[in-house]
Amino acid sequence: MKLAIPADAPHLDARIGDRLGFARCLLVVDTEDLTFEVVDAPTPASGHGAGIHIITQALGMGAKVLLTGHISPHIAQTLEKSGIRVIFPVQGSVREAVESYRLGAFEREEDTAAEGVVRFQLHRLPWQGAFRKAANQFLGIFPILLGVILLLGLFQSFFPKDALLRVFSGDGLLDTLWGACAGGILTGNPLNSYVIGKTLLDLGVGLSAVTALMMAWVTVGLVQLPAETAALGLRFAMARNAAAFLITLAASPLIVYLAGVFR
Amino acid sequence: MKKEAKAPKRSFGMKSWIFPLCVGAAYPILWGVSPERTVQALRAAGHVLEQAAVPLLLAFLMMLLLNLFLTPAHVSRFLGRKAGILGILLSSAAGILSMGPVYAWYPFLASLRRKGASDFYLANFLSNRAVKPALIPLMVTYFGWGFTVIFSVFGVLNAFVAAVIVYLVTRSAH
Repeated sequence: MKLAIPADAPHLDARIGDRLGFARCLLVVDTEDLTFEVVDAPTPASGHGAGIHIITQALGMGAKVLLTGHISPHIAQTLEKSGIRVIFPVQGSVREAVESYRLGAFEREEDTAAEGVVRFQLHRLPWQGAFRKAANQFLGIFPILLGVILLLGLFQSFFPKDALLRVFSGDGLLDTLWGACAGGILTGNPLNSYVIGKTLLDLGVGLSAVTALMMAWVTVGLVQLPAETAALGLRFAMARNAAAFLITLAASPLIVYLAGVFR
Repeated sequence: MKKEAKAPKRSFGMKSWIFPLCVGAAYPILWGVSPERTVQALRAAGHVLEQAAVPLLLAFLMMLLLNLFLTPAHVSRFLGRKAGILGILLSSAAGILSMGPVYAWYPFLASLRRKGASDFYLANFLSNRAVKPALIPLMVTYFGWGFTVIFSVFGVLNAFVAAVIVYLVTRSAH
């Protein structure tokens, strides 16, 4: 069975487009193996009827069901008369919508039939369905988690703790940078970062460097990057970690300054 | 224009096992260099897995409940692009209160995203983990009240800034 789904990007984790004519593309997804084809959205110059144009292409590719955020009732009725099942309103990602369709989770809202078009809503999954779905989602990322855990073991054993002390030179700004780098690389319970931070402070390392270490410890994760990328995408993982690292560098001296003011 | 896309099936095939297999392969190699440290590394990995077990179980239970009771419409309302201040408060509180290692929460966050949660709130959740209420007494003992309060406030503010940056960067991908 092939489903036509307007989306804001040409991949399964894209969000479902609100309207056919304004979606960036239309995915025609095969529910059997989740392979898909992409129909590019019409240009803005296409004007009126862009939605019809794009859906005609999808139907030509074998789509039998249209899942969309919104559709005009008269278009929905025309499609239904042509034997195309129209399911709306549908939200979330394309993958989620396809999974819900496969599990038969869409049901008709009886009271909307009077409007001339039948709306759908997601009904609750049975326990077995919800469990299977959660297990699939969880197992999908498990290998990467296992790799990260094995990597953490190697890191904890082979990274000499005293090497940390050697990198701090006494230069405030440079030490803050090293603190953020160390915090981004080292992992484990944040409690450890407090203990290490206190030890470094007692050994004469500046508070700004210690602050950067403690902040980056929980917000930047170089070792966890593969797992974050697998779950949320490379762009998300890189942007979040880079932003957290830079913010740590900027905020640490400011925190130390303000802590001194309000002491 | 019609384009054939590569098979994007989320499979448990070989591709997802490449990374753990590569890391696993490092163990016998390092055994040749330092058997003691390699055993130590294996024990450390076991300890990490032990520590992560409860949060992983918790994340799995939350995913189960999410699949049972929350539809994409709910998630869009509370954590979608237009969730506003409610979304910020919810994701901040969840990030601050979430326990255990961060990677235990990735499957849950991926599941939330599939249901329509915005990248902004997911990044806000992750970055708010810098604030650890349970560790505040220890931080006060080590670094004093003033530092602890400012560090915690900055933890929340930094999370917001990081979330804005992530949203701006990932927006073009969507």
